Amino acid sequence: MRTNKIDARIVFGIISVLIVLLSLVMITSAQSSASGEATPAPKATATAGKIKHGTIGFSNCLKCHLDGFREAPIMPGDDHATYNDNDVCLDCHEPNTPEDGTVWKNLLPGSTPVPIQHPASNGLNTCYDCHLELGDQLTDIAQMWIESVHGKAGIGCADCHGGDPNTDEMKLAMQTESGYIGVPPRLVTPQICGGCHSDVERMRSYKLPTDQYAKYTQSVHGKKLRQNNDTRVAICTDCHGSHNVKKGSDSTAPIYPVNVPELCAGCHADTTLMESYGIPTNQYEVYKSSVHGKLLLEEQDVRAPTCASCHGSHDAKPPTSDEVVNVCGKCHTATEDLYGQSLHSRIGDNAPKCWTCHGTHDVFKTGEEMFMNHKPQEDKACTSCHLDNKSFRMDKARFAQKEDRRCDTCHHEGSRIMRQVTGIYVALNDANTVYEETESAIKKASALGMIVTDAEIKLREARTSLISARAAVHTTKLPVVTKFTDEVETSAEVAKTIADGKLQENFFRRFSMIIAVVIIIVIIITLSYLKRKIDRELEKES
Amino acid sequence: MEYQQNLDTTSRGQRLINWIDERYRMRELMGAMLHVYIPKESKTYYLGGITLLLFLVQVVTGSLLALYYRGTPDEAYDSVMFITSTVQFGWLIRSIHAWGANLMVIFCIIHLLRVFFQAAYKAPRELTWGVGVALLLVTMGFGFTGYLLPWDQRAYWATTVGSEMAGAVPIGGEFLLRFLRGGETIAAATLSRFYGIHTLILPMTIAALIGIHLLLIHQQGLANPRQPAKTAPEGNLPKKGKPFFPNYVLGEVVSWYMIIGLLIILASLFPVGLEAKANPLETPPHVKPEWYFLSLYQILKFVPRVMGVLLPMVAILMLFLLPFIDRNPEVLPRKRPAMVTLGIMALIVIIAFTVWGKIS
Ligand code: HEM
Repeated sequence: MRTNKIDARIVFGIISVLIVLLSLVMITSAQSSASGEATPAPKATATAGKIKHGTIGFSNCLKCHLDGFREAPIMPGDDHATYNDNDVCLDCHEPNTPEDGTVWKNLLPGSTPVPIQHPASNGLNTCYDCHLELGDQLTDIAQMWIESVHGKAGIGCADCHGGDPNTDEMKLAMQTESGYIGVPPRLVTPQICGGCHSDVERMRSYKLPTDQYAKYTQSVHGKKLRQNNDTRVAICTDCHGSHNVKKGSDSTAPIYPVNVPELCAGCHADTTLMESYGIPTNQYEVYKSSVHGKLLLEEQDVRAPTCASCHGSHDAKPPTSDEVVNVCGKCHTATEDLYGQSLHSRIGDNAPKCWTCHGTHDVFKTGEEMFMNHKPQEDKACTSCHLDNKSFRMDKARFAQKEDRRCDTCHHEGSRIMRQVTGIYVALNDANTVYEETESAIKKASALGMIVTDAEIKLREARTSLISARAAVHTTKLPVVTKFTDEVETSAEVAKTIADGKLQENFFRRFSMIIAVVIIIVIIITLSYLKRKIDRELEKES
Repeated sequence: MEYQQNLDTTSRGQRLINWIDERYRMRELMGAMLHVYIPKESKTYYLGGITLLLFLVQVVTGSLLALYYRGTPDEAYDSVMFITSTVQFGWLIRSIHAWGANLMVIFCIIHLLRVFFQAAYKAPRELTWGVGVALLLVTMGFGFTGYLLPWDQRAYWATTVGSEMAGAVPIGGEFLLRFLRGGETIAAATLSRFYGIHTLILPMTIAALIGIHLLLIHQQGLANPRQPAKTAPEGNLPKKGKPFFPNYVLGEVVSWYMIIGLLIILASLFPVGLEAKANPLETPPHVKPEWYFLSLYQILKFVPRVMGVLLPMVAILMLFLLPFIDRNPEVLPRKRPAMVTLGIMALIVIIAFTVWGKIS
């Protein structure tokens, strides 16, 4: 019995020691988490649901969430691959509360983004110091960062990855208590960037806008990310880079205008990626050979529109039919005004817009073939051009081919409107012919060495009027067009008279030259004859 | 009484000549000037005379241009435009002046080469040669100062790079550059300075030099390209040979007509144009000096600046001193192979650099 008593005492003692030890451990751990000045938001307190999750921690969570045991939501592999040796689940997930279990505290798409909480750096960036020495990709990342806009502005590793940039103890620096989150999952990246970039105070000194995050949430990309948890859509880092973010004015930056089409095409020309969205993938190819694409890509003219000029960047979405006029009018302001005077513009939504005649990604050089194709026209019904539904909008498919973008695609042959179109066509054609004739006369005179500056000045006037006449087509009004074509003809006529005068003068010059040369030759022959004679006499004498 | 006698016996023209001659004894002077002889073996190809004609053409056309030209940056370009497009035959005068300038440099150089290869520079003609070298420099000075006057882009920038070469001269180069430009850059001061030099200083200088050149030649007669010259005072003035007048002069006149014909053809078929008005803020893509400075310009691209400027300076000095350096009295090319080879080599180098400068 004695032994039993002793045994019971020992057991009791061990248990109480254990209890003391355990409570000590708990107190210290509680203290350490309380002393961290900027740990992540307080951990979830036990809720009713948490009972089910009695044993917590990475390996425990995975027991169910790796393969969906008992209908537990499966952990997405691509986003979470890096979390494999740390009990980090609870940093972001509150067990049970949300139905789908994929909620990040503070980082929920759509909530106000806040910067990652971590111990403030006191001038140190130990992450960089170590990683720079680690070699391979880690060194590369460190080097990229120091060269990036963030590196130069002192925005450190911890500002995106969390962690303590002051300690050189890796364990301490990269522990969850220091806010360390590792590679931010795609789903929450916009929140992390937005944490700083939508903060007006913070951005003021950089003179940067702060509406990108707000715009992004409204974009097609942002909506898909937020509503469908679709992480294949473009997020900040896809366009700006992550460690190597550069200024937009830097010609090596992916968002430098000349590089933008290729950047967008990176995803949008990917047939497998775009398949599920059901959108075409040939825009980049088509754009490349358009006037805009050639100007931007071949002539490196950054004034030419990139994808973002029409679709927006952070707020990317296809402009709707009604928005098109405004979008094109951003650059083509004068044309927008002229279009505003036209009947087309007054009809409203169902009227032809810029794209109807000029296309979208395939804007080509305009020409007179856009008036009519001089072929017998088939009978037209409303649905020849308009959609056969309630919207009655212009049918995109009808104008998909360049050859179909003509006035007589819609307007009936022999109609009053077509007579007006023909009038415009003839006026422009005539003005163009006169202009070209004048130009070639001036070129001819200039090639002959004549000074044609005065004729060129007049020709330039004619050219300005010709451009105005072509632009006036957007008003669809014959008198407006002929006002300018008349100007072309007046100026060109003056220039042509000057040029013809020069040509005539040149003829006179050459003619007189020949006469003078002939006279000189005669004199030379006579004098040579004389010289020979006296030379011979001299020889005879001696 | 005597005077009236003369009036009776001769024609009117003769009478006028006689009238003058009796008073000023002109016949004697003319006789001394014209009735001289040149060696039968002489072959001048009339090159010096052609250069002289071209100078006279420049004097006539230049004077006509000066009637309309205005030497300020505001007016220069417009006045040249006015001459070219509005003034009757203004285009012709201007084109002949421009072509004449180029031909004058060309013929001056060929004339020099003729003298060099015929060894006509040797004693006793050292001074004639020296004055000749000075004439070449002055002729190029005419070209350099005249090129700026139209005040178009080509003029402005060719002068900019041309005067920059002067800045490379060691010690005093900076001063020379400022002196040439009349300031730091080509501006109003440069234009009026160049206009003054081109139409006053250089014409007076060249007239004096040509006068001396011809006087010296007259005193010695032409060199014989077959025989070494004798220094004895009379030895070189042959009493026999080809009469300078009318035989040589007639040939000279024929050559002059040919050059005048050439000038008319060139000026009519290739009249000089006018580029855009000079714009100091917009450098055109291919700036080059005139062709006769091109070889130097091209050399300057490759050798250190100081070297590139010293080299032509030394070359010019050597050219002046040539008759004193080359004391070999022989005149036939085969008897002076070293000099002839040296001359040909120098010529090839200069042509090569000029062509290179043109195409690069
Ligand atoms: C504006 C430039 C010049 C003019 C107008 C000019 C004119 C002339 C004329 C008319 C002659 C007579 C023989 C002939 O026609 O060839 C002559 C001879 C000569 N010139 Fe020039 N000359 C000029 C430049 C030069 C130059 C650049 C040199 C050499 C550096 C030169 C050296 C000589 C010599 C040495 C003779 C004598 C040739 C002999 O005796 O055969 N002259 N010059």
